[in-house]
Amino acid sequence: MTTAPSRAVSAQRMRRLQPYLLSAPALAVIALLFLAPSIYNVILALQSLSPYQAPGDGEWVGLENFTALWGDPEFGRAAFNTVFWLTGMTVVLRILAGIGLALALESPVLRRWKLRGFSRTVILLPWMVPQVVAIAAWRWILDGDSGILNQVLSALGLTDGGVPFLALTSTVWWSIVAIIVWRELPFVVMVMVAGLQSIPSEQYEAAAVDGAGRWGLFRSVTLPGLRPVLTIVVLVTVIQTFNNFVYVWLTTGGGPGNYTAVLATELYNAAFFDNELGAGAAIGLVMTAIMAVFAVIYLRMTSAREESR
Amino acid sequence: MTGAPQTAPSAPTARRVRRSPDARRVRDLLFLVPFGIILIVIMFPVLWMLYSSLRPVQEISQGVTWDTLLADLSLDSYTRLFEATNFGRYLMNSLLVCAVGTVLTVCVAMLAGFALSRFSFRARPAVMLVLVATQLLPFVVLITPVYLVFAELRLLNSFAGLIIVYVAMTTPLSVLLMTGFLNSVPTTLDEAARIDGATTLTVIARVIAPLVWPGVVTVSVTAFIAMWDEFLFAQVFLTSESVKTVQVGIAGLFGEYGTDWGVVMAASVLAALPTIILFSLLQRRLVAGMTAGAVKE
Repeated sequence: MTTAPSRAVSAQRMRRLQPYLLSAPALAVIALLFLAPSIYNVILALQSLSPYQAPGDGEWVGLENFTALWGDPEFGRAAFNTVFWLTGMTVVLRILAGIGLALALESPVLRRWKLRGFSRTVILLPWMVPQVVAIAAWRWILDGDSGILNQVLSALGLTDGGVPFLALTSTVWWSIVAIIVWRELPFVVMVMVAGLQSIPSEQYEAAAVDGAGRWGLFRSVTLPGLRPVLTIVVLVTVIQTFNNFVYVWLTTGGGPGNYTAVLATELYNAAFFDNELGAGAAIGLVMTAIMAVFAVIYLRMTSAREESR
Repeated sequence: MTGAPQTAPSAPTARRVRRSPDARRVRDLLFLVPFGIILIVIMFPVLWMLYSSLRPVQEISQGVTWDTLLADLSLDSYTRLFEATNFGRYLMNSLLVCAVGTVLTVCVAMLAGFALSRFSFRARPAVMLVLVATQLLPFVVLITPVYLVFAELRLLNSFAGLIIVYVAMTTPLSVLLMTGFLNSVPTTLDEAARIDGATTLTVIARVIAPLVWPGVVTVSVTAFIAMWDEFLFAQVFLTSESVKTVQVGIAGLFGEYGTDWGVVMAASVLAALPTIILFSLLQRRLVAGMTAGAVKE
């Protein structure tokens, strides 16, 4: 900084601008894919427009796209399916199985038998497989004609003839739930393992001195210790799953009938099959509004944790 | 999982000495056997996929018996896959899109990460919030508006369009991960280089990038896997056969009637191979990176 003062000043200004210039490409792509479309989505939701029209040719219809959703039983079913089956059921099962498998992975038995690394890799395996591949593999297992599950069940005498698991209303949701839980469980297990490792061992020792048994230790030390991680993992999995399109789309396409329709497939169908981009955008806005609640809770919790550090 | 408990020795003294490790062993097995069954159930779909892709087509719809378990395994399904479908094309398309996309994402993330790690500027908290918040945005919701914008820009059915989407999709997490890695590189080195008169871009390319290569690898692999796995945008954007990606290709293979499951499983194995290899190589780093948002110790 021994150069002429004017150069020093401009260098300083340059330096102040630098972080903005450096983040510009990242912010630009984010603006292009996330920000602009989000705003455009609001405009679209108030219009009637088909994918074959130019974007400017939309007809303004006010809140019609939303009022059409209100009394629509199909939308109601999709909303219920999304909340209860797609999100609720799979998140609850993932959390329960996730805690169980995390405890198993951390158990001294696996360490004694030197099986910890192997078990961890096996548990991670479904996560390494693309979602579409997971669906393909499971559709083959569940196949009504020659799937292995049907062969095993009829060999055991439990069923006669093939059960088309993805076509019967009694089995279709459980089948989809099984696929989702299988593929998405590893994330929960890994987070829970990290959560378990963050519980100081002194807490266990202290509780053991107080005479706590296995169950007592779990209730008085493990569960409270996992609480912060648990809340975050519930929020993250809810946010990830609520919007999921591919699991329902590639297993049943929303069928039989529209029995397994979810909001994401309704959005897709409205926009690209019924050619009503506005109706699709309206469903999208409803989804965004619901997810915004979870996102705000998530942001508050994470920033609160950041500050408390 | 293996081996029954050893037969108890006849001498009573020996038994007294051995009892406690034996009892522990039995108790271990009470844990290991059910746990092993669970692991087999978890592995099964992937193993079955691999096995089915190797079975002869005339047997694939029949049950497995011990006699025929390993008989006649062949690569016929793979041959059929490449002869009867455009899967080779899909593979090349996916590789191209994901490779270019990954390089771009890493560059974008490196620059932004450097800014967030080395400068304290006024908009920094806002940028951080944007990065976290965009990850929470329901992705499927963007499909209608993005479709319209990209149709207008004539970016449908083009790799360029999909690459832009993928770069944007992977940028938020990549920037956050890269910032974390850059924070662990001491600033003394880049300050020294800057005193020597190097520009910021030179510092990043010559000094920072070589030091932060574990971060570059982690971000590349995370981004590549996310792009490789993506289905929705590829499905909506790419309708002509010549530009389809692997995931869209597989989804097209399991049609409603007469699915050739041998071919579908062969395609699935090939589509899963890159991600399984990359994931296994970098298991710990990737798990740490992907769970970082949820757990911060």
